Amino acid sequence: MSMPQTEGRPMLPGRLDRFETLIAATAAVIGLCGLLFVGHGFYIKAKAQLAQVLLARSFAAELAGEGPSRPWPWADFTTAARISAPRIGHSAIVLAGANGETLAFGPAWLATTPQPGDEGTAVIAAHRDTHFSWLKDVRPGDRIEVERADGRTMSFVAGQGRVSRWDENGIDIAAHGKHLALATCWPFDSTERGPLRYILDARLVEPEQAAAELPAS
Amino acid sequence: MFTNNENAARRIRAQRSSSALWIAMTALLATFAATGSLLTTTQLARAETATTATVELSGLVRPNDMNSGALLFPSKELGYFVEAPRLKTDVQIDVSGPIARVKVTQRFQNPSKGWVEGTYVFPLPDDSAVDELRMQIGDRFIEGQIKPREEARQIYEDAKAEGKKAALLEQQRPNIFTNQVANIGPGETIVVQIEYQQAVHQSGGEFSLRFPMVVAPRYNPAPIVQSVEFNGGTGFAVTNDPVENRDKIEPPVLDPENNAKINPVSLTVNLKAGFPLGEVKSPFHDVTLTEPDAQTRLIALKASAVPADRDFELTWKAAAGKTPTAGLFRETVAGRDYLMAFVTPPATQQDNAAPAKREVVFVIDNSGSMSGPSIEQARASLALAISNLKAGDRFNVIRFDDTMTDFFQGLVPASADNRERAIAYVRGLTADGGTEMLPALQAALRNQGPVAQGALRQVVFLTDGAIGNEGQLFGEIDGNRGDARVFTVGIGSAPNTHFMTKAAEFGRGTFTHIGSEDQVATRMGELFGKLEHPAMTDIAATFDQAKAENITPNPMPDLYAGEPVVLTAELPQANSAGKLLITGRTGDQPWRVEMSIDQAAAGKGIAKLWARRKIDDLEASGYRVNDPQAIDRQIETVAMTHHLVSRVTSLVAVDVTATRPKNEPLTDTDVPLNLPEGWDFEKVYGEQKPILPSPSGDRDASLPAGTLQQVAMETAEMMAAAPTAKTASLLAKRSVGVNLPQTATPADRHILIGLMMMLIALAAIFWLRLRRASLFRRG
Repeated sequence: MSMPQTEGRPMLPGRLDRFETLIAATAAVIGLCGLLFVGHGFYIKAKAQLAQVLLARSFAAELAGEGPSRPWPWADFTTAARISAPRIGHSAIVLAGANGETLAFGPAWLATTPQPGDEGTAVIAAHRDTHFSWLKDVRPGDRIEVERADGRTMSFVAGQGRVSRWDENGIDIAAHGKHLALATCWPFDSTERGPLRYILDARLVEPEQAAAELPAS
Repeated sequence: MFTNNENAARRIRAQRSSSALWIAMTALLATFAATGSLLTTTQLARAETATTATVELSGLVRPNDMNSGALLFPSKELGYFVEAPRLKTDVQIDVSGPIARVKVTQRFQNPSKGWVEGTYVFPLPDDSAVDELRMQIGDRFIEGQIKPREEARQIYEDAKAEGKKAALLEQQRPNIFTNQVANIGPGETIVVQIEYQQAVHQSGGEFSLRFPMVVAPRYNPAPIVQSVEFNGGTGFAVTNDPVENRDKIEPPVLDPENNAKINPVSLTVNLKAGFPLGEVKSPFHDVTLTEPDAQTRLIALKASAVPADRDFELTWKAAAGKTPTAGLFRETVAGRDYLMAFVTPPATQQDNAAPAKREVVFVIDNSGSMSGPSIEQARASLALAISNLKAGDRFNVIRFDDTMTDFFQGLVPASADNRERAIAYVRGLTADGGTEMLPALQAALRNQGPVAQGALRQVVFLTDGAIGNEGQLFGEIDGNRGDARVFTVGIGSAPNTHFMTKAAEFGRGTFTHIGSEDQVATRMGELFGKLEHPAMTDIAATFDQAKAENITPNPMPDLYAGEPVVLTAELPQANSAGKLLITGRTGDQPWRVEMSIDQAAAGKGIAKLWARRKIDDLEASGYRVNDPQAIDRQIETVAMTHHLVSRVTSLVAVDVTATRPKNEPLTDTDVPLNLPEGWDFEKVYGEQKPILPSPSGDRDASLPAGTLQQVAMETAEMMAAAPTAKTASLLAKRSVGVNLPQTATPADRHILIGLMMMLIALAAIFWLRLRRASLFRRG
């Protein structure tokens, strides 16, 4: 193939034959569709990040004692907590109730499970490619902090991660003791939706225990 | 030369265009293939989850589907259980007037060679509670005791940690009894005996009771993950089923005939109606019936046929002309009188009265949480309700998310025109935005003008109840309801039933749950029946002279055709005298009944029935009190006094005796000789004489040889038994839990597809330019 030497040379539309027009039109349609797809993909990611800014404001208002507030007037959910992983420097505002709408804006606390820090196992889920993209970096022994809407901060220590099906995940919400399970989709780098979930189990560090451990570490 | 040249150019051009065609075609095909494969994989994943839920086969069960008493062991399939072989079930029902006391004794076996932690499941009728629990696990006897929840939990955990046999019953859902049983050893026999009581159901002069016997649906979950092995690069492969020997896991399907032989049931009813009996029948099962006297019947199940697809039901009527329209019973417990009264309102009055005019305010939730099938069901239900209105009725429609619209700005006549406009409006609603329920509720209760003379004001609320300010809403309903009745319709698979049931109670209406599209017609039909024919409203009970500390239910619900008023009360001292006065209203007509307390007949179990209802009332009053712990304490006091399981009290079973030497094996024919006092397990051990002679002969003669052994083997095969008691509890834990939501956005996939498509487009355009450039040069 010879190198193209035609940069800038005019190509009159009238000189395209029928076959060429067809190719050009198809290319244009495919290109446009591609652009839309890419745009939609980035829109989802941008929405997820931008929403967190508004949510942080709303959560701060809630902590200040203004009661459960809606981050924006047409939102159909309230903020429930702030989750953070101090070692790797990530945090996010957790919403109450897990459905397609809440998960698009932030991690969601499953409302059928106990509150983080209460007796049983609390479950927080988020998308693997947005809010919980850092979940794979949490190592056993890492601290996970959950600041609840009532102002109390619960400190959990992460255990081992594991992989299981969405409906057979072995999470016992009525378990003895105070636990937290963080869940996201697995495999992390897959682009397809699948039945598998990555679950990180963590257990509460009791306040007095935390105080005892702090000077040591 | 020239022509040669031209020919060559043409040839090259032709070659190029054909090769270009090839490239373009391949690129297009690749795009389609890529998108196609992405689509099919998602569809496959979806199909996989769908089949998991629907495949119905004998073998595996889920606790929530259980329709009869059973002991469940965890199975090898996560989330599913196996029923322990039921060696024998004995049911003894004592009906004394308006109360039935049921004692169920079941004997099971652990057919495996390992340790298991089982779950005993028993579906309870409404308004009943288990108050006695006795168990035998292997050679240990344990007995349930009512303790405050935390204390019970501690006792159970301690006992379990010490390796003792233990069982804990906590209230999860009000009407299902589930009980964890720890430390069941290999081959051990388990006997469970529970006692509960229920009020006899009355409707239209017929009395009835039900005992659950339906066999639960069986599941055979779809493969979990299929692995594909490509060998030799041929492109063909075999998928591997991760569950080995799936064909062996599928047990023989139990038809009812066989089930009766494998799960033998003996059932006796000692019916003391308290009035001369007329017809007594069991519509679905063959029974033998004896008549000791006019007011008493003994009923026993015939051994030959026990269809497993129907609940046992017994109905009875009074002898002609003797149908009681009122009854008053008394039980004295610990120096206090407990009363139970029932009155059937006269039915004649409502027949000649024209159906009351109705004023209906429909409130529909179209917030974001309703999006998807929920809003479709809500729209369909509401359209049906509007089209069902009569010409003389008046109505209005209010919709709300974080804003609200009062469609007609007040009540309008239900003319054909108005109904059509409202239906068109409802059909056009989409679900979006937040849930601000209070303004809509206020508009429905306060802003609709006064109730017309003799009309019924009804507020029908369609929502999923995804709200946080329950207390405020209860307060609004309780305080501003006026004469209106509030009916709630729960939409979707998991509405907030607690909120909606309570809201309906405060609103003196009913709660209807619509879980799927095909339930819309039947469930709404039932609701229309109630909306159109209330038999009696504004019911209240007072005691003349005697002090009524506590009357339940409070407030009294409206009655619908044929139902009696049933109330229970606690009086501060024994042998009280005085009069009980019940008032109400049918249509425009007031109605009152007086009864003398000192003429009450003795009845058993009334105190427990009162306590159960009192706890329900206390739970409902929770929103009004700022101190929820005070409510908890009150509930605890009532529950402990009357030995009932509640939200704050649990039944913990502790080891009471070690009656059997460790080395002595327990075999099937063994009757434990030294049972603790008051225990009667004989009926499920060995062959005892039936209480009533059964003419059909010995059931065991027709039992195919080895069937029981076969079932035991199949069960053992499916069970996930553990080598030690400790691992057994870990296995059991695995089986309960929550479903996790989908947590992958399509963002990455969309970006990938988009980039691929743009790349193809760019390649095509680039090629086009190349081709034109060469044409220019050559031509």
